[in-house]
Amino acid sequence: MKKLVFVALLLAVTLCCQAVFAQETKKLVIFSQCNNAEPYRAAQNESFKNLWSQYPDVEFELMDAQQDNSRQISQIETAIRKQPDLLIVAPNERGPLSAIMGKAKKAGIPVICLERDIKDADNYTTWIMSDNYVIGAQAGEFMKDYLTKKYGKPEGKIVDIRGLLGVEGEMKRFNGAWDVMKKSPGIVQVQEAVANWLQSKARERMTEILRAQPDIDIVYGHNDPMAVGAYLAAKDLGREKEMIFVGVDGLNGPGGGIQKVKDGVLAASFTYPLCTDKAVEIGYKIISDPNFKPEKQYNVNSKMITKENAAKLYKE
Amino acid sequence: MNGFLGNTFKLFGKFRYMTGLVLVLVLAIIMSPEQRKTGDIIFLTFDNLSDIMRQVSENGIIALGMTLVIISGGIDLSAGSVLALSATLVAKLLKQWAPQSLSPDMHIIFCVVITLAVCAACGTIMGSVIAKFKIQPFIVTLAGMIGLRGMARYLTDNANIDIGFSDDTSAIFADAVSQKFVVISIFIIMAVIFCIILTKTVFGLRVKSIGDNANASKYAGLPVTKILIAVYAVSGLMCGLAGILHAAQNHQGSPNDGVSYELDAIAAVVIGGANMNGGKGSIIGTVIGAFILGILTNMFRLRGIDINVEMMFKAVIIIVAVKMQTTDKTS
Repeated sequence: MKKLVFVALLLAVTLCCQAVFAQETKKLVIFSQCNNAEPYRAAQNESFKNLWSQYPDVEFELMDAQQDNSRQISQIETAIRKQPDLLIVAPNERGPLSAIMGKAKKAGIPVICLERDIKDADNYTTWIMSDNYVIGAQAGEFMKDYLTKKYGKPEGKIVDIRGLLGVEGEMKRFNGAWDVMKKSPGIVQVQEAVANWLQSKARERMTEILRAQPDIDIVYGHNDPMAVGAYLAAKDLGREKEMIFVGVDGLNGPGGGIQKVKDGVLAASFTYPLCTDKAVEIGYKIISDPNFKPEKQYNVNSKMITKENAAKLYKE
Repeated sequence: MNGFLGNTFKLFGKFRYMTGLVLVLVLAIIMSPEQRKTGDIIFLTFDNLSDIMRQVSENGIIALGMTLVIISGGIDLSAGSVLALSATLVAKLLKQWAPQSLSPDMHIIFCVVITLAVCAACGTIMGSVIAKFKIQPFIVTLAGMIGLRGMARYLTDNANIDIGFSDDTSAIFADAVSQKFVVISIFIIMAVIFCIILTKTVFGLRVKSIGDNANASKYAGLPVTKILIAVYAVSGLMCGLAGILHAAQNHQGSPNDGVSYELDAIAAVVIGGANMNGGKGSIIGTVIGAFILGILTNMFRLRGIDINVEMMFKAVIIIVAVKMQTTDKTS
């Protein structure tokens, strides 16, 4: 019993100290993250911590639902009781989180829905997301410009290395790019292969393609690992200098796409954005300016990574 | 510890878990931040207290059945999987079974009854294997945990079944059953029923007696096999009930939900003073155990403390609670 009282007192004292040091006048921003364990999500958390720390009048709090809908619902429920000035939610799933986010909004808390959306669009104040179609279109513009520079007019031969067919992200990355390039009849797809997002599979399929196609200008991998796999296949046959390789994702870190652009393996990659910059920008406007009316949806543009900016972005 | 404090603790000796609850409550009140607009202690607001009650309900309902199982000297590791099976089954029945002759209300009642029956049947089967083949409950329910999870996934092709987003029967179900008041009421009613079963009925006494000494109970002429089967059937039924509430509150039946829920339930039962060797435990204790865990979670969330710190602290609480139990016996 003695021990229990001791433990309880110790805890109370430590946490009371925290309470004394915490300033109550700050604006409270709570971020409910669906799962800290994914690299993309961990990068979001880090980015949020850095960005919000630049606002001295904001206290930023993070809750991790560990990929559990029920836990995220409960956490948001408790967050509502704290009456934060802003609630940012990266929902674990579209259905389960819909109602509770609506409750937060009804309680007068501005709610930012991050990256994934929820069933009922009325249940958030604004949705900050990134559109794979737009990313595809950016990649398409880049490829068109490259070919125009190379030949003086937009023409050339392209190979697509595709991810899992039927997946929304894959379709949008494909259509986005080709809706741009189709406008120039000189740009043609000479062959495509489905490599299910995998580097090893892309390498196998690209070897076959290289045997069949004497002339290729660009290989467009719908994610970075597949573009890298295609590069490796071309390197095996000594043909990697004949063509360029373009990827999507642009993750940071030693194995990520930014490193591959820095190394000269990929000519370009396009980031799938964390959406945190925009969320902080819009979020701060919401809490500091009562007259600010956010739009219902913000599209965050992908960043293009080329040899010129890769080293700088890698350091960030 | 002598003097006044010592006497006070002696006074509460029989209700040590109650002392624990009071300690945690005091701690939560001290720790609670104030509401920034009104200055109220957030923890004590009605909304927050009812949030806690809603949040502990699912775990609490599973823990009620688990209490019986643990008092009987067993354990039920299949609880989380049964919950997943129940949540997916009720969602599947609501969405994909459209009986023309039934009114929406009757449709919902049938779905709920069928789901509960299936879950109770799962418990019955596990109980029968335990009692008749004399295989340890840990192993049988471990097999149940694996097999029933597989069954839940098989049933839905590993996909979630969304419910309650249009005007169909499932929406009526989700809107009705997901209400805070309904969830909390079901938990309270079940707790009262279980309390009566355990303390006032022959069945309750027999469960305790089997947990104390199964052999002696058998020689005394108790129907040990039947009682054990009933205990696991009831546990399955409670997991089924929790699964139905889970599906309604999450607006979906997900075959991957409920992982490790059985461990949360066991923690509540153990904090509530039950002995893992059987024979000892109470419903009031279990309910308090569930609340201690729920209040701690709420306290950490209100302060915005990392969930992983919360987990480490809970580990300490479980050990301290069990330690208190053993000192209780020797003194």
